[in-house]
Amino acid sequence: MRVRPPLMEVVMKKDCEASVRAVPGAAVIELTGEVDGGAAGVLTAAYERAIADGDPGTVVLDFAHVDYINSTGIALIVSVLARARSQRRKVVASGLSEHYREIFDITRLSDFIELFGDLDAAVSQLQAQ
Amino acid sequence: MTSVAHPAGRRLDAFAVASEPGNERMALARVAEAVAGHGLPAARLERLKTAVAEATMNAIEHGNQGRAEIPVDLEVIEDGDDIVVTISDLGGSRAPAGPAEEPDLLAKLEGQQRARGWGLFLIRNMVDGMDVTTDGPRHTVRLTMRTGDAGAPAADGGGHEEGL
Repeated sequence: MRVRPPLMEVVMKKDCEASVRAVPGAAVIELTGEVDGGAAGVLTAAYERAIADGDPGTVVLDFAHVDYINSTGIALIVSVLARARSQRRKVVASGLSEHYREIFDITRLSDFIELFGDLDAAVSQLQAQ
Repeated sequence: MTSVAHPAGRRLDAFAVASEPGNERMALARVAEAVAGHGLPAARLERLKTAVAEATMNAIEHGNQGRAEIPVDLEVIEDGDDIVVTISDLGGSRAPAGPAEEPDLLAKLEGQQRARGWGLFLIRNMVDGMDVTTDGPRHTVRLTMRTGDAGAPAADGGGHEEGL
C-alpha cells in the first residue's frame, strides 16, 4: 500500500513578498510566493514604493518566482492596473508561466498589460524605448 | 462523507478539508496527485487545479462561511475519458446570490464593477463542464475534464458568482 505523506507537510503556503528596484524609465516589482488575498498589503505597499522613487512611467510586475495566483490575486492585479492607469502609468508583466499567461488572456489583462517572457526582456525593451 | 451521485466510475480519491482560508491549496495538490498518470496533459492539469482551487475557495468562504468545523468534501472520479471532481459544502440553504455578473475588465478598471468577481468565470473557462446541484443544505459543484488533448474549455456551467 502506498504511503502518502500528510498534505499539511507538503503544501506549505508561501506568503507573497515583493522587492522593488528602479531601472531607467521604470520601476520593477519582483514578486515571490503566492498572489492571493494575503498579498494585498504587500502588493499595495510595493506599488507605492515603486512610484515614490522617480515617478516612473512604467511599472514592471515580475512573476517569475510566483507559483500561485488565484482569483483574488487577479483582482489585486486589476486594482494595481486601475491605479496605474489613473496615474497615466503603464504596467507590464514578466515571468508568467504558460498557464497564467492563458489566464491573463482569458481575463483580458493581457489587452492592458504587455507580457514579456522574462524580466530581462521587459527591461531591455523599456530601455530601448 | 456523503457521496454525490455520479455515473459509474472509478473513485481515485475522496477527502475533506477544513473550511479555513488557504486550504484550497491543499485540495488542488491532492487532486493533482490523484489524477497523475490518468491522461491529463500538463496544461489541462493546470486548468483543473485552478478550477478546483477556485471552487474549493468558494465552498470554504461562501458555502461553509469559513467555519473550520464544517468540512468541504472532495471526490475525484475517473469516468471513461472524463476526470470528474466534485466539491461539496453545506451552504446550499443560503440565499442565492442571483445571476452572476460577467466580469468585464474595462468596467472594473473604470470603477463600474468591483475588482473581484473572477472566481466562477475562471472555473467555467478552465474546465470542459461544470454543474451545480443543491440537495438540502448540500451544495455541490461538479467539474468535468476530458482526458487527452481533445477537451476544450466551455462556459456551460450554471451556479452563482460568490464574491471571488
